[in-house]
Amino acid sequence: MAEVKLVNLDKSYDGGKSYVLRNINLDINDGEFVAFVGPSGCGKSTLLRMICGLEDITSGDLSIEQERVNDMPPNERRVGMVFQSYALYPHMTVRENMAFGLKLSKIDKKVINERVEEAARTLQLEPLLDRKPKAMSGGQRQRVAIGRSIVQEPRVFLFDEPLSNLDVSLRVQMRQELARLHSRLKTTAIYVTHDQVEAMTLADKIVVLSPLAEGSESNLEQVGAPLELFHHPKNLFVAGFIGSPKMNFFRGEIVATGSETTQVKLETGEMIQTYNDTSYAAIGDKVTLGIRPQDVLTNAEENNVTGTINALERLGTETFVYLNHPAIVEAFTVRIEDHRRREEGESFKVGLPAESCHLFGANGQAFQRTRAPQFD
Amino acid sequence: MAMVQPRNLKYRVWAARLFMILFICIIMFPFLMIISVSFRSGNFATGSLIPDNPSLEHWAMAFGIPWENADGSITQPTFPVLIWLWNSIKISVLTSGFILLLSTTGAYAFARLKFRFKQSMLTSMMILQMFPAVLALVAFHTIFDKLGNFIPWLGLNTHGALIVAYLGGVTMNIWLIKGYFESIDNALEESAAIDGATPWQAFRHILLPLSVPILAVVFILAFIGVIGEYPVASVLLQDMDKLTLAVGSKQFLNPQNYLWGDFAAAAVLTGLPITLIFLLAQRYLVSGLTSGGVKG
Repeated sequence: MAEVKLVNLDKSYDGGKSYVLRNINLDINDGEFVAFVGPSGCGKSTLLRMICGLEDITSGDLSIEQERVNDMPPNERRVGMVFQSYALYPHMTVRENMAFGLKLSKIDKKVINERVEEAARTLQLEPLLDRKPKAMSGGQRQRVAIGRSIVQEPRVFLFDEPLSNLDVSLRVQMRQELARLHSRLKTTAIYVTHDQVEAMTLADKIVVLSPLAEGSESNLEQVGAPLELFHHPKNLFVAGFIGSPKMNFFRGEIVATGSETTQVKLETGEMIQTYNDTSYAAIGDKVTLGIRPQDVLTNAEENNVTGTINALERLGTETFVYLNHPAIVEAFTVRIEDHRRREEGESFKVGLPAESCHLFGANGQAFQRTRAPQFD
Repeated sequence: MAMVQPRNLKYRVWAARLFMILFICIIMFPFLMIISVSFRSGNFATGSLIPDNPSLEHWAMAFGIPWENADGSITQPTFPVLIWLWNSIKISVLTSGFILLLSTTGAYAFARLKFRFKQSMLTSMMILQMFPAVLALVAFHTIFDKLGNFIPWLGLNTHGALIVAYLGGVTMNIWLIKGYFESIDNALEESAAIDGATPWQAFRHILLPLSVPILAVVFILAFIGVIGEYPVASVLLQDMDKLTLAVGSKQFLNPQNYLWGDFAAAAVLTGLPITLIFLLAQRYLVSGLTSGGVKG
């Protein structure tokens, strides 16, 4: 069926002098929901536009259903796309908007009507069929844009940040509708977003892209299931990008290696034990130790670090403590559940549970965690 | 909106109205004078605005009806004014149509396609347009004189030649339409392409319907420009029954005998098709066609 395969895909706008995307290899199975995430400028939208044919492919192969489509114009690729700006045809009613593509392919009027009515039913657009886009709200327009690609029965759905123009509550609602829609239609879908919550909740598989660094081989950082990326980030970039608030990183060096546990000495001299396989590392290697804000404990007896409080945010359900610590890379954020008042400048001792620690070598690659939580 | 207004606003509004009424009077006066002259008996350019002894003799001449004078003598119409009018309308409609065709397609290329020398072509078009067509009168005459030997309908003294000569005026319109096309989000055509439209279908079904207002403006401007054009038409056309109204009206003004009345009637007649076209095109001059399509 409609699987999408990307082999060594490159994109350059200046004939090979500099690249936006480099060596993208990706297998998307039939019926899978894949999310492309990454900070702005990482080329995720460009990659999507290459898949639908709005951007040409500098080198590499793109195939849909085992058919190489590199040189196929967008109108022949049979993919559907939902734009961030909706891109509805303003001079047509909702019905005409949805029927436009079908009319071009000269499909029988009765069939067109049936498909439009069905899509309208699915998306609760029936009362709006004879309205023009300007008489509709943002959420309604977005549903029309989705309906317009549904009626075409495309091989692959492409979404280019479809929810980013909606307000927060509508976004949550549309997110659930998209999830329902995908489980019903089971069409392969590729979804570009900078919002990792959307990616984590919707996708079967997340593709993390980074802005291409000078001399870097590829800007494809990691591909995997949402929780795999969360618990087993392959490198510092993914670890820092997935999860909110961001993971905390400490500078340190290995003082004892092991295939099960590792001893790390932070720059401040504090000793931390972690469950990571460092059997192939050497004592004295510089490492970065990572810990998520919500994994930090306040009542631990060992594996402690002490920082001074910089700011406190008490939100009711949770409290964020922002700490200064000499060995921290950017910011040290701790999420705790007690709501005591604490003064700025006060020293604050927290524990880093060994099984929650991530460890990254000097090249940014992760050491395998040996006691990560189980997930299916 | 209930914005608080200063108290002396009322007087300022009245002053503004008075100024505008005066301004309109100044603009309208020559026009009213021409109408007045066309209804005045005899051929006098001066006189009161409302004719003392109104007569339809000049209009009869314009419509080709013999006029019986007060002394019983009959004046035969001297010139085929209605044929001139028909020529003018024919040439203007055809030229404007072709200009629309050429400038929309040209503007599409400049607005949406990427090709070498695009910017320099645009600039050179702009610069070329700065030289009035009058400067090329000699060239027009020679070119169409020679061309007529091979293609009879493009020779001197044909309407074909005149239309082709006028088509040189598309460049300004290309700039106009290009600017409008660029204000329409490219995502609309991209989304049409994904819906299965070829570039031509996207142009025809998405871009053109959204550009109707500017197309109407270009059509009207081209029409007005062509129907009143004198220099080129006066050089290319010679036969009495081939002339346009603008060139033909000059025939009334002999050095010895200025037939002001007949001239005025013909001049008013020139304005009629323009008015008609404008009234027809007015309903396409609507704004807000593109609103609601994209969220920007």
